[in-house]
Amino acid sequence: MILQAVEVTKVYETRGVTTHALDGVSLQMDEGEFSAIAGPSGSGKTTLLNLLGALDTPTSGNVLLDGEELTTLDSAALAGLRLHKLGFVFQSYNLIPVLSACENVEFVMDLQGVEAGERKQRAREVLERVGLSGLEDKRPPEMSGGQQQRVAVARAIASRPRLVLADEPTANLDSDTAKRLLELMAELNQVEGITFLFSTHDPLVMEAAQRVVRLRDGRVVDDGAGNHG
Amino acid sequence: MLVRMAWRNILRNPRRTLVVTTAIAVGIAGCVLAMAVNIGMVTDMIHTTISNGLGHLQVHGPGWDERPELEVRIEGGREALAPELESLSGVQAWSTRVRSDGLVASPRASVGVAVIGVDPEREARVSEWSTSVVQGNWLEEPRQLVVGTELARRLQADLGSKVVVSVQDLQGNLTGRAYRLGGLLESDLGAIDDATVFMHIRDAQGLFEMGSSISEGVVTVIDDREIPAVQSELEARLGEAFEVRSWEQLEPVLVYMIEAFDSVAWVLYAAVYIAMSFGIANVLMMAVFERTREIGMMRAMGMGRVRVMGLILMEGVFVTGLGLLAGIGLALLGVWALRDGIDISAFAGSLDDYAIGTRLTPVLRWSDLWDPVIIGAITAVLSGIWPAWRASRAQPADALRHV
Repeated sequence: MILQAVEVTKVYETRGVTTHALDGVSLQMDEGEFSAIAGPSGSGKTTLLNLLGALDTPTSGNVLLDGEELTTLDSAALAGLRLHKLGFVFQSYNLIPVLSACENVEFVMDLQGVEAGERKQRAREVLERVGLSGLEDKRPPEMSGGQQQRVAVARAIASRPRLVLADEPTANLDSDTAKRLLELMAELNQVEGITFLFSTHDPLVMEAAQRVVRLRDGRVVDDGAGNHG
Repeated sequence: MLVRMAWRNILRNPRRTLVVTTAIAVGIAGCVLAMAVNIGMVTDMIHTTISNGLGHLQVHGPGWDERPELEVRIEGGREALAPELESLSGVQAWSTRVRSDGLVASPRASVGVAVIGVDPEREARVSEWSTSVVQGNWLEEPRQLVVGTELARRLQADLGSKVVVSVQDLQGNLTGRAYRLGGLLESDLGAIDDATVFMHIRDAQGLFEMGSSISEGVVTVIDDREIPAVQSELEARLGEAFEVRSWEQLEPVLVYMIEAFDSVAWVLYAAVYIAMSFGIANVLMMAVFERTREIGMMRAMGMGRVRVMGLILMEGVFVTGLGLLAGIGLALLGVWALRDGIDISAFAGSLDDYAIGTRLTPVLRWSDLWDPVIIGAITAVLSGIWPAWRASRAQPADALRHV
């Protein structure tokens, strides 16, 4: 088991209004999974993904990554954990616009302290792996949405994380591009054993996922555990 | 990679970077140039004062400091100083003088003056008095005087006119002798032009009934950085029977002025740097705010707070660095453009008393370039701390939601 959420609750207080974004969510995830958290807007998908990705802290409950309790870690330790164990793909790509495709992929490796030569070589290999050979020196504004999201995937996997979290990765892509991106990630999962967890309401993603955890109003209504494997 | 990102980030909004770097550049250039003009003025004052009789060093009898009067004299005369000064390395030239007060009178007017007896040939090597003569000659014949054109005007006397110099001699007797005006001079120093009478040292020794005694020896050195060394060597050689004083000790006001200009410069710098720090902080705050999402993403990827701070601080340093470079370039250009000096002859009359010439040439010292650079770098870091800290506190999940 790589990831576990135990009775996780997240409550937001905004100007006196209390919102229960997540209400006692429990979830387990094994290495090598290709899973999705699905649900309508406002069901708590992104909130859950943020908690699982150590980007936010639960109001109550706990999250364990590789057996480590996230609620016991301070900000610096969480940053270190994200750096070394997690890869992220965001809905709006979130590449660094002043860096080229290759440099964007190198960025996380640079933070990890990978030496420049190895960093560059690995970045080029990964970009080739996601089908972006020849675009290494292009900056994000010079690339299409699909290409940018591929760079984001390359960036997420280049640091060799235990788990890649992807928040609605196909939301801004047309269906053809989305399909190709999903095929790429499925291949990375099958061939290289990289574990993926998506949040999505895109049927294409749900179709591609081996397991779909369904959320509604901050609760798990179907954890899809029966479907996967 | 962080350095590369910081550099490219400041080029993301070129107009904003241009505005703030221009503001920094103009501020710095203004400061440096103002400083160079000030220092140029002081340097000119020092030069004028030194070359108008002060010299680099002066030797007097003991007690001159408290009582600069005729009685405090070097009785051995020129010969008392010659062996030491002739053999001292670092000495460029030296001369001897007799100096006291007196009254010069023409048939139409009389004026209180300083009476200076000089060795005309040797004096020409230690001061610019001889070259300041605009009419007649520099004491080529005995019983002749050289006075400023202004003094001649006040006496209503011309070249060749007879005047009487009255003094109190060494014994305290009032005495006077008649001389002809042999030369008229114009210096940059009001006191010389208005109220000084030059005569041959032998005439002065005769007038004051002081035999071969002299009032002072004046020394110029080859390299003015060697003044302290030459001074202490001379003190050691001459012993306690003499007082050796540097120009800084003789004219402490000039030294105070240099220090005052330095203080003024710091006030000027402080004003510019405070304004500058707000500019830098503002630019960085805007950049941080605009990039909240991007910074959140970098934090999500595992970038530590210290690195985020480092990135923003570096951006501040780059913007400031560009401004400083441009400012110093601008200042150098300004100093070059003013290399022939600024004509201030319109104010010449009122500036004579301050030993300021008619042209103001900026003088740039290296320290006047380094200081703004060092303080600029410190300012950049200080003004970047708040924006950088704000950026580093970004909670990844919140920041990523930022539109």
